[in-house]
Formats: sequence, C-alpha cells, structure tokens
Amino acid sequence: MDKLMSDLKSQIIAQLNLQDTKPEDIGDDQPLFVEGLGLDSIDALELIVLLQQHYKIKLSNADDGPKVFHSVRTMAEYITAHQAQHA
Amino acid sequence: MYIRSTGNISPQKTFGHQPLVDAVVYTGNRLACIEPDYKAFIDPKQIRRMSRIIRMGVAAAMECLQEAGIKEPDAIVTGTAYGCLEDTNLFLSKMVEFNEDLLTPTAFIQSTHNTIGAQIGLLLKSNHYNNTFVHRGFSFESALLDGMMLLNENEATNVLVGAIDEITNPSHAILNRMALYKQGPVSNLDIYKTRSRGTIAGEGSAFFLLAKEPSGKDYAKLDGLHTFYKPAGDSEIEEQLNAFLEKQGVKYNDIDLIITGNNGDAGGDKVYEQLAKSLFQNNDLINYKHLCGEYPTASAFAMWLGATVIRSGELPAVLNYTGSAGKKINRVLIYNHYLGIHHSLSLLSAC
Repeated sequence: MDKLMSDLKSQIIAQLNLQDTKPEDIGDDQPLFVEGLGLDSIDALELIVLLQQHYKIKLSNADDGPKVFHSVRTMAEYITAHQAQHA
Repeated sequence: MYIRSTGNISPQKTFGHQPLVDAVVYTGNRLACIEPDYKAFIDPKQIRRMSRIIRMGVAAAMECLQEAGIKEPDAIVTGTAYGCLEDTNLFLSKMVEFNEDLLTPTAFIQSTHNTIGAQIGLLLKSNHYNNTFVHRGFSFESALLDGMMLLNENEATNVLVGAIDEITNPSHAILNRMALYKQGPVSNLDIYKTRSRGTIAGEGSAFFLLAKEPSGKDYAKLDGLHTFYKPAGDSEIEEQLNAFLEKQGVKYNDIDLIITGNNGDAGGDKVYEQLAKSLFQNNDLINYKHLCGEYPTASAFAMWLGATVIRSGELPAVLNYTGSAGKKINRVLIYNHYLGIHHSLSLLSAC
C-alpha cells in the first residue's frame, strides 16, 4: 500500500503538472480537493484518466468519484480492491 | 486612436519595457522568446495549466494593462495564426498513443486558438467582448481592425489587442521541411546578407492597449491600417501603397521612417528591394525580423517597434538605421507581407 501511495503521488504531480509540489508534500490522508491540494473539476477528469492509463480502471459509477478521489489513501484502497476483484 | 501601452515578449529583451539596446544573437534558423518569471504576473495555481504560449500571452497582456493602469478593458481581441500548438500537439499525440481513448482534458481545453484571450478574460473576471481572429498572416491585422472598429463605433473606450504565435519542435520541423527556413547555421544579424532561400523562424506575444481618447502619455497614434491579399505584382503593391497614403492625406516625404518586413528570403525580399528603389527611395528604412524572426503575426512586433521608436525618439544601433542622427521620428509607416500572400500597411504618428 505504501509503495502504491508513493507511486500515486508522483503520478498525480505529473498528470496535473503540480509545479513546486513534491511527493512528500502530499499527505496520505490529505483531501485532494478544495481545502487540501485545491484541485478542481478539471483535475477530477485528469484523475479519472490517470486511473485508466496507469491501472486500467474505469470508474463505472460517477457517484463513487468523491469517495474514491478523497485522498491518496482512498485512491490506493480503491485500486487495491479493484485489482483483487479482477485477479 | 491612441496606443496607450504595450507589452511584448519576444526573442529580444523586450519584456519589462527595457530599452532595446543590444540585439540578442542567435545562430541557427530559429529564434525563441525570452520569457520572464511568470509568477510575478500569474497565480502559480493557474500557471500549471497554462502552456508556454498561454503564459506568454497572459504575461504580455498583463504588463500592457498594468502600464495603462487599466484593470478591465472594454474588449479583449487577440490574433493568432497557429494557436496553442504545444497543447494541440500534446492532444493529438495522446489521441494516437491511446487509440482515441483516454484523452487528457486539459490539453484539449487549452488547445483552441481562443484560449489566450479567454484566459486573460478569466484572470480579469471580465465578461466583456472577447474575440480571437485566426486568419494566417492577417490574424493580428484582423484583431487590430476589430479593435479599431469597436472604438470608432463607440462600442468601447479602450481595447486590449494582441497577437501571439509560438514555434514548437514539431511545427519547426514541418515548416523546415517545407523549406521556409534557411538551411545551415546563420546568425540572425546576417539574414539580410545571405541572398539565399528561406528565413529564420520566430515567435512572439505583443499586446497594445488602444484608446479612443489621448491620455497624455501615449506611445503613438494609430492613424490607419490596410490589408491586401495576393497582389498581382509590384505595380499593384505600389497602387495599394499610394491609395492608402492618399486616403490618410500623407505623402512619402511626410514619413520619417518606414519599417519593412524583410526576412532574408531572397524571393520574398524582392518586393521590399524594389520599393526601396521606387516609392521609398527618399525614405529612411529599417528592418526588424532579425530581432523577432518570421511568423504570421510578426507585424505586431513591428507595431511595438514603431510605437516605441516614436515615443522614445531613439533608434538603437540594432535597427541599422542609416538616416540622419537625432532626426525626430514623428510618422512611421509599417509595410509587411507574409509569404507574399498577406500584405499589410499601418501608419503611426506622434501624439
């Protein structure tokens, strides 16, 4: 899980072009949107693309978005659960 | 109407209203803009979504507005031939790479030609008139004409007009393959001497705040603008020039300086050389494309140069001016053509 979260932080920084942000600046449980990293709706689309590109996961239910993309940890948990389901 | 302020990012040190003293020398066939520290002009959170051309456009526009002391112009009008090439290239590459699936939304959103005008509007929180013209070598002139009409028809009291074009690695490679640029190393200072085919690639972002009323600290007056498309030959070009100046009530000996668009291409420069022997034979002439390179909206750099020379009264050595030293420059004519297709004339005068 720690390795996955570390990878995710680097991928988020690259995908969203978060200049001046380092992986260690993003907390595992820090909210990604609004008060946390300050991401917005366009970033949400970029995160959906990130999941598809790197983990072959298509977010089938849009209502899951806020829960899945709440933090790096929730994203990692979603990926792990999805991979276990499809193993 | 009056040019109240300017903002210019170019391959020379023009940003920050620095006086043009020494030319930045390039060897090769490509000149790249000297970019400022954008964080002074754009919120870092917003910079991350902006490609290079958007940053150049926004920063030049902001500098122009700051100089004029205007927070929100009545209209924003931009001109660009190529648009946001970097984002377009990224978007199209991803389409191919991911088999038309998994497209990154940011590159798509930012790849449209009107992104720069829109970003300026968003940053200013402005809902005023916002338009972008994409007409190849007439893109800047079309934007300028729109701005002039808005002022003339009392639709606006001030208008931000700008032109932006970038050169990217893929676009440079494609245009190079089409033999637009010189082959082999050449200094930008020597392009007029080469007598060979092709020119040097350039790019730039130049903005102007046009106002209907004088402010007392304007750069220059913009007296007239005229464009003509694919002239049949030198005689038609001369007719267009004569008609334009007659309409403006100006004779050739009333013009203190003519800025011509020579770019070092032996074929394209013939028209300028012919005019230097005929209609312009008694005028002082300078060129500018050794400073900014050739691109479809390069005439915006010429307008910045003309306005700057009128206001400062200085003709730095980089312009290779051969007229009388200390001569007051009150009236400037700019004649430019892009690939022999799009020809434009602009007339500036001292306020």
